Amino acid sequence: MKRTIVAFLASILTAGAVSMALAADFPDKPLRFVTPYPPGGSHSLHAGVITTVAEPYFGQPMISIIRGGGGGAVAATELSQDEADGYKLLFGDPTINSLRPQVEELPYTVDDFVPVARINYAPAIFIAAADAPFDDLNGMVEYAKANPDELVYSSDNKNGFTYVAFEMLKLKTGTKMRGVEFGGGGPAMAQVLGGNTMAYAGAPSVVGEHIQAGKVKAICATDYERWQTLPDVPTCKEAGADVIWHFWRGVLAKKGTPEDRIAKLSDGFAKLVEDKGFLRLIGKINSRVDFLGAKDFAKVLTKEQRDLKELYDEIQK
Amino acid sequence: MFLDLFMEGVRIAANPLSVTAALLGLAAGIVVGAMPGLTATMAVAVLAPFTFLMEAIVGIPFLLGVYKGAIYGGSIPAITINTPGTAAAAATALDGHVLARKGQARRALEMSLYASVIADLIATMVLIFVAAPLAAAALKFSSPEFTMLFIFSLTMIAAVSGRSITKGLISASLGVLLATMGLDPMSGQMRFTFGVTDLMGGVSLVPLLIGIFAISEVLLQAERGVPPIDAIGYSKREPRVTWADLKGSARAIFRSSGIGIGLGALPGLGAEISCWIAYGIARRRSKSPQTFGKGSVEGIAAAEAGNNAVCPAALIPMLVFGIPGDTITAVLLGAFMAQGLLAGPLLFVKHGEVLYSLFALLILTNVMLLVFGYVAIRYLRKITLIPSGLLYPVVTVMCAAGAFAVNSSFFDLIIMMAGGVLGYGMRKTGVPIPPLVIAMLLAPGLENALRQSLVLSGGDISIFVTRPISAGIMALLLAGLAVIGFQSFRARFSSTAKLDESLHLERIKGKSR
Repeated sequence: MKRTIVAFLASILTAGAVSMALAADFPDKPLRFVTPYPPGGSHSLHAGVITTVAEPYFGQPMISIIRGGGGGAVAATELSQDEADGYKLLFGDPTINSLRPQVEELPYTVDDFVPVARINYAPAIFIAAADAPFDDLNGMVEYAKANPDELVYSSDNKNGFTYVAFEMLKLKTGTKMRGVEFGGGGPAMAQVLGGNTMAYAGAPSVVGEHIQAGKVKAICATDYERWQTLPDVPTCKEAGADVIWHFWRGVLAKKGTPEDRIAKLSDGFAKLVEDKGFLRLIGKINSRVDFLGAKDFAKVLTKEQRDLKELYDEIQK
Repeated sequence: MFLDLFMEGVRIAANPLSVTAALLGLAAGIVVGAMPGLTATMAVAVLAPFTFLMEAIVGIPFLLGVYKGAIYGGSIPAITINTPGTAAAAATALDGHVLARKGQARRALEMSLYASVIADLIATMVLIFVAAPLAAAALKFSSPEFTMLFIFSLTMIAAVSGRSITKGLISASLGVLLATMGLDPMSGQMRFTFGVTDLMGGVSLVPLLIGIFAISEVLLQAERGVPPIDAIGYSKREPRVTWADLKGSARAIFRSSGIGIGLGALPGLGAEISCWIAYGIARRRSKSPQTFGKGSVEGIAAAEAGNNAVCPAALIPMLVFGIPGDTITAVLLGAFMAQGLLAGPLLFVKHGEVLYSLFALLILTNVMLLVFGYVAIRYLRKITLIPSGLLYPVVTVMCAAGAFAVNSSFFDLIIMMAGGVLGYGMRKTGVPIPPLVIAMLLAPGLENALRQSLVLSGGDISIFVTRPISAGIMALLLAGLAVIGFQSFRARFSSTAKLDESLHLERIKGKSR
């Protein structure tokens, strides 16, 4: 009997000690991983994979929250007004975190968020419809110069990924082309396939299969090197226009989150992206890992934000 | 070659795990669909990550089962308690619930089941045999064609406006107004958001619909106190679907299946719109249009066939081009990708046998839907016997959960409640709800398509007549309007003629007196 009581007391004491140790620890409650887009699409797919394998690397479950609206602006605004405790993480991208707050009137700014980790990125691949009157970048530029505003391309949204890719290309090549915003990558792609528009620029996961099947012509990729699954597609620099544009997927927290917490989260993601199950799933969804920790990601982000600002200043001139 | 592939698919599909997964999915889907507030999209989105770690041939049939079950399941509460379980079942409630109130819930439920299964089967056959050519045809649809299609669909408002076309138009205008709120799709400007962050994404459709349909029903029931429907009681000799019912609705079912397949194969239009268009056209072409809205089994058949046919058809653009037509196929596309089944032009070449086994399972779940439904209906119709005091609080809770879960947004609960009050007010004043819903579903698409067309053409409106398909739809639209105009003119003319005649007779009588 006595022994039971001692054991009971001891267990209470240890339990207390453990919980105190945990309280000093971060995180001591579930993390929330906010995808700012509606379900479906590559962002929520990546979020599903990340949150599925996250728990062992943070010591707490990571709950996936899908919060669509305003092309990502709703979730970003909400998070920017949330507490800076590191429990709510934004699964951001360049349009939400670098471009739109600088060029649109949104209730948040680029400085409302601090980078935690970049998971990966994808370049844009410029493509042309199968019956387009050009086969490569030079041909496309010549056509656009000979027929200003006649080259109609599929765009996604104002200030979206495809939109920016074409703005960069137009600025670099000094051409005039006409974009139609179809409200998303899916319909935009459908319009090129149907021959209703002449060109498009999208992620390799969207355009890759169509290039391989010969349904569209590949023009160039907006990256420093050729994309590994599409080794025959030149980079835009090789093709004649130095356009670099990455659609990264990364994790950000609210500004003011304690630095030790950011570091801890960043380390957690660094280990997470080496998880075997994670790598298997990320391979299955035809994606990959280009991890950057908080510090390196911050550098990339700062440069990108500056470049985009310059691009828009230039366009508006 | 084709048959070989299909037989190989059947062989792969015929394993206990796949079949069990498909059936489990189907059952889960029916339950989710039947709960007001829980949508098919959400069910598939929540369950999709669980399938990442399953084998393709187990995980995907499970999700397809959920999808199918949910689209059918939505009709159950639509009929029994006038609260569509999913937005796609909203048109079913019009006639279904009227029948249920007449004590014919079983007849309505059975008709909904048969129409769903037949339409689904037809659409699945189309998916299997003509997916590629149909998808290629769908690609020819660009913004001008969509513009015309949306305008054509808008004319369905007339068919669901009830007695007063003025009230119908009031309702439709309100729908358009609500739909224009939020981020301007092309310029990125804010419209009617009044600086409210939550409105940047516009008025969320699902919470609003839950409010307008379900919460308003709850409010009405609360007001009435003793619900009349319980009083009907339960008779052993409840009428069921007769052969004559089926025969009379056969044309409507086939027509609606065609409409559903067409709209499903076009990216951007879903089951929510299809049910209304199918219903509207069925009414127009029916031999007894006056019974629509007053408990017509033909109306139920048309609406249900219209929404269920969309389901297999929506897989066509998704599988052939990797282009999802709506959110639910977008989620499914993700699940396919997570299985290494990269949808697109190479899918049929690389994974033909897996795909055909999925098709085989689609047919199987369809047959099972018939069995499940048939058994379930015996018990489901008794929902109408649950005292409202118990039933409606539960419905309210589920609605709130569903409305919140769509976007994890508290604000959506406000939208739901506002929708409830709006729906209540509309029902009280006799302003029909369907036109609002149709307008809200169509307006954003119409606006985008119209503006895109004009950018495509550089501001030249002749683009709508110079493109053959667009011109074709426009001709169809004008012909349809001309017929309606002529009919109403004739009706008015003949009635005034009669009036003249009777006046004339009276005058004669007066003279002779």
